[in-house]
Amino acid sequence: MIVRELLLAIWVSLKTSGLAALVASLLAVPAALFLAGRDFRGKRAVLLVNQTWMAAPTVVIGLLFYFLLSRSGPLGELGLLYTQTAMTVGQVFLILPLITGFSYTALRQVDRRARLTALTLGASRRQASRVVLREARFALVVAVLAGFARAISEVGIAMMLGGNIRNATRNITTSIALETAKGEFTNGVVLGGILLVVTLGINVLVQVGMRSRD
Amino acid sequence: MSAMAYALDGLRFAYPGPPSGFALDLEPLRIDSGEILSLVGPNGAGKTTLLMILAFLLRPSRGRLEFFGQECWSEEARTVRARREAVLVTHHPYLFKGSVFDNVAFGLKVRGIAQADWPDRVGRALELVELTGFESKSAAGLSAGQAQRVALARAMALRPRALLLDEPTANIEAGLALRIEAVIRETVRETGATVVLSSHNISQASRLADDILYLSDGRRVRFSHENCFSGTARTDGRESWIEPRPGSRIVFPGSVSGHITCVINPADIRISGAGHQAAGVPGKDTFSGRVTRLEMTENDTALVRVSGDLTFRVTVPVQEIEARAISLSRNVLIKFEPEAVEIIGSEPSEKPHD
Repeated sequence: MIVRELLLAIWVSLKTSGLAALVASLLAVPAALFLAGRDFRGKRAVLLVNQTWMAAPTVVIGLLFYFLLSRSGPLGELGLLYTQTAMTVGQVFLILPLITGFSYTALRQVDRRARLTALTLGASRRQASRVVLREARFALVVAVLAGFARAISEVGIAMMLGGNIRNATRNITTSIALETAKGEFTNGVVLGGILLVVTLGINVLVQVGMRSRD
Repeated sequence: MSAMAYALDGLRFAYPGPPSGFALDLEPLRIDSGEILSLVGPNGAGKTTLLMILAFLLRPSRGRLEFFGQECWSEEARTVRARREAVLVTHHPYLFKGSVFDNVAFGLKVRGIAQADWPDRVGRALELVELTGFESKSAAGLSAGQAQRVALARAMALRPRALLLDEPTANIEAGLALRIEAVIRETVRETGATVVLSSHNISQASRLADDILYLSDGRRVRFSHENCFSGTARTDGRESWIEPRPGSRIVFPGSVSGHITCVINPADIRISGAGHQAAGVPGKDTFSGRVTRLEMTENDTALVRVSGDLTFRVTVPVQEIEARAISLSRNVLIKFEPEAVEIIGSEPSEKPHD
């Protein structure tokens, strides 16, 4: 495997999974804030569905979106199948419940007095919610990183929706699957190592960034 | 005539959910601007609930609440504005993660006050609570007493029109508590702020307040100071008692220990001439004394002050004054049931340290 191809696969992994983590976080964190801050009828059912969704196999999500995006599917006209966009969309659905669940737990653990104190000091509801998010920021970052790690390490969605197209949708995990299928186990192990190093690098960068801000 | 800070009319509040039995139900109440009002009452009397209502954190389920002539619950923006002028310091204050400076500056930040003004206002507020130099310390590393003082500074930095304090010196050692009281008085003098504070400590309430509002079971009760007694409770397991003066024992039911403050509703005390039988035979919670004050009220009742080893204030229907041979300087007997003794404050033997 030439270096250019390897770098491109790393880039595809980072781009699709990073984007998926970003989009999923923008949806999941407000949802978790809503769930953690309010009691309503059906809340338990919502949490149960979310927990169940967390366990959904990647191939099942891949298959679902494959049907939706394939030429004969309801969204076939969009022409997204075997694109990086399709991979990102699939990964968003994969990690959305994970980030929601982790964020919900993180926000529930914030002392209830944090919001009340913010309100007593004259914060608007929006400002008080920001205070709660700030108090849970470390745990929320962990939730987002867990989502990112899940997205970058999955192979089912990337394979089914991306198609493992060379120089286009091939990422690290689909490259590992390909090398393994070819019997090039050494290449597969090296690629696995690269995946771990990339993930480690991102975790370290985020942790250092958090510490310097704190 | 001073402006009215708060006007409460027919105010009622009950917590949502399964009926807890508790509801705050207040008769009309006016709190003048620049006044210090103490709320005194036992746990569960409604002191914190009333403070939360005055801070616009709980919306009354019925009645009218005006703050400087404004009804503040009609729209979100108005409520937020009112919250910015009526700042509550809770009993167990919460400090945000970060430094002491971040905490004290929080209210300034949400009010959009220029960042250049923060250091000066934070510094002055910390100076008031004797925490100068604590700006860069982490809030997480403070003792309970220091945290309480930071919370006070955080409120004072905002120079609110109303300062609402839920047991403001609860975690602070006695010497510093007196200095904090002085700071509260000074704040009122300098800024004209209205202060409403809750306290279990009757003597603190008396020292600080222009007026005292006694609460019990969510209602205002008209207890007099003269029927308020403190002492170290002893118990035989079935009944407990304090001796505010040696040999003068106030008995009440249940097993209670530690330093307590109790009150007896003047209406729950029976009085009769010393030789009269109506007060019952001498026994527990029976005291003799001399009538040292006798005054008529608007409600066809007389207020009688009886001074003996202990001083009591008793309300008696006017028509019974003669029937019970009560007159000034007469020796009388007074008696009340142990159940009439209401404990409004208790402190464990060991005081928390700062």
